[in-house]
Amino acid sequence: MSETNIVRGIAAHADVELRLPADSAYASVLRTLTAGLAARLDFTMDDIEDLRIAVSEAAAMVLDEADPGADLDCRFRLGDGRLTVVVSTTAADPAEPDYESFGWQVLATLAEEASIDAAPGTYSVCLVMRSALAPAT
Amino acid sequence: MAPSEPRDERQPAPGDVTRQRSAQLFVEFRDPDATDGARDAAREALVHLHLPLVEHCARRFRNRGEPFEDLVQVGTIGLIKSVDRFDTERGVEFSTYATPTIIGEIKRYFRDKGWAIRVPRRLQELRMQITAATAELTQGLGRSPTPREIAESIGCSVEEIVEGLESSNAYATLSLDAGDDSDDGAPSMLDAIGIDDAALAQVEIRESVKPLLEGLPEREKRILLLRFFKNMTQSQIAAEIGVSQMHVSRLLTRTLEQLRASLEADA
Repeated sequence: MSETNIVRGIAAHADVELRLPADSAYASVLRTLTAGLAARLDFTMDDIEDLRIAVSEAAAMVLDEADPGADLDCRFRLGDGRLTVVVSTTAADPAEPDYESFGWQVLATLAEEASIDAAPGTYSVCLVMRSALAPAT
Repeated sequence: MAPSEPRDERQPAPGDVTRQRSAQLFVEFRDPDATDGARDAAREALVHLHLPLVEHCARRFRNRGEPFEDLVQVGTIGLIKSVDRFDTERGVEFSTYATPTIIGEIKRYFRDKGWAIRVPRRLQELRMQITAATAELTQGLGRSPTPREIAESIGCSVEEIVEGLESSNAYATLSLDAGDDSDDGAPSMLDAIGIDDAALAQVEIRESVKPLLEGLPEREKRILLLRFFKNMTQSQIAAEIGVSQMHVSRLLTRTLEQLRASLEADA
């Protein structure tokens, strides 16, 4: 219990960053970390399962656009019963966001908010998950 | 209940009947003067007689990701062991003796065979605890529980719950043709995987024939349409167009030959 409180105590401004090779083999590391963070933020088991899927979809979308040898940059912002995840990579010439794709449909359904940011040089997907237990804002 | 259980007929006081029959069969099975054939027959009959007990035990382990039929099968191994080892002098009912053996066999199956990856026993047991606690807390809270609530209920750390959840992913494999264990017999995953459409090869032919059809004289086109799309007989077509059936037959044959020749010339 105390360990949860430690995270909760600083959760208001806590940021976590993870940098991985942009390779699908590392996606499980991202999923595990996401689930671990969400568990400490008192997300419910259902939320954690949704979050795993959403993050996988986000990572898959970003990996598709990554330049060869690029890094996958994952930022987590924790607080207020919310977990914001931004997955980005360097992409010299990223494709236009495909809002018809299956992956995007899944992501948009599971996450409270989701967005794709594609600009020359960078491609990033942002998603916000709110814990079912968080007070409605 | 699975529909394929003809022996599982609930007659009045079936327990007494089963008990008497069981005792009688054990006498036959253990009779030192009996022939091997008679003993084998008694053993076989004993196993069949107590199969509903195995099904009863296996039912307790449904919805844990293993097909019900497989559980019945391993449970039956436990039943056979029980029949061979049961000591009639002990004065206990056979079902009392056999139940722990059957359940033990099913549990061992979960522990040894169910996992795609060999996972330490500590984590296997933790996963079972998490599953049980999750179900219980979901009932009590009316929502999905948090890992902290599960940890408090089991009496371990959130850390361990996260670890246990990771390990349960090793359990997620499923045979492609394994059906869902529910009563309505949901289709297996294999059924959900698409196959090449059987008519796919026809698409190309249909597309090549289309312009050729367009090029046919009006009457020939009409005859083909009536024959193959409206499914009319040659006589009906003859009546419709006002020529003899023989003539329709000749026209059809000629038109089809022309089409085939043009298709082959194209190819």
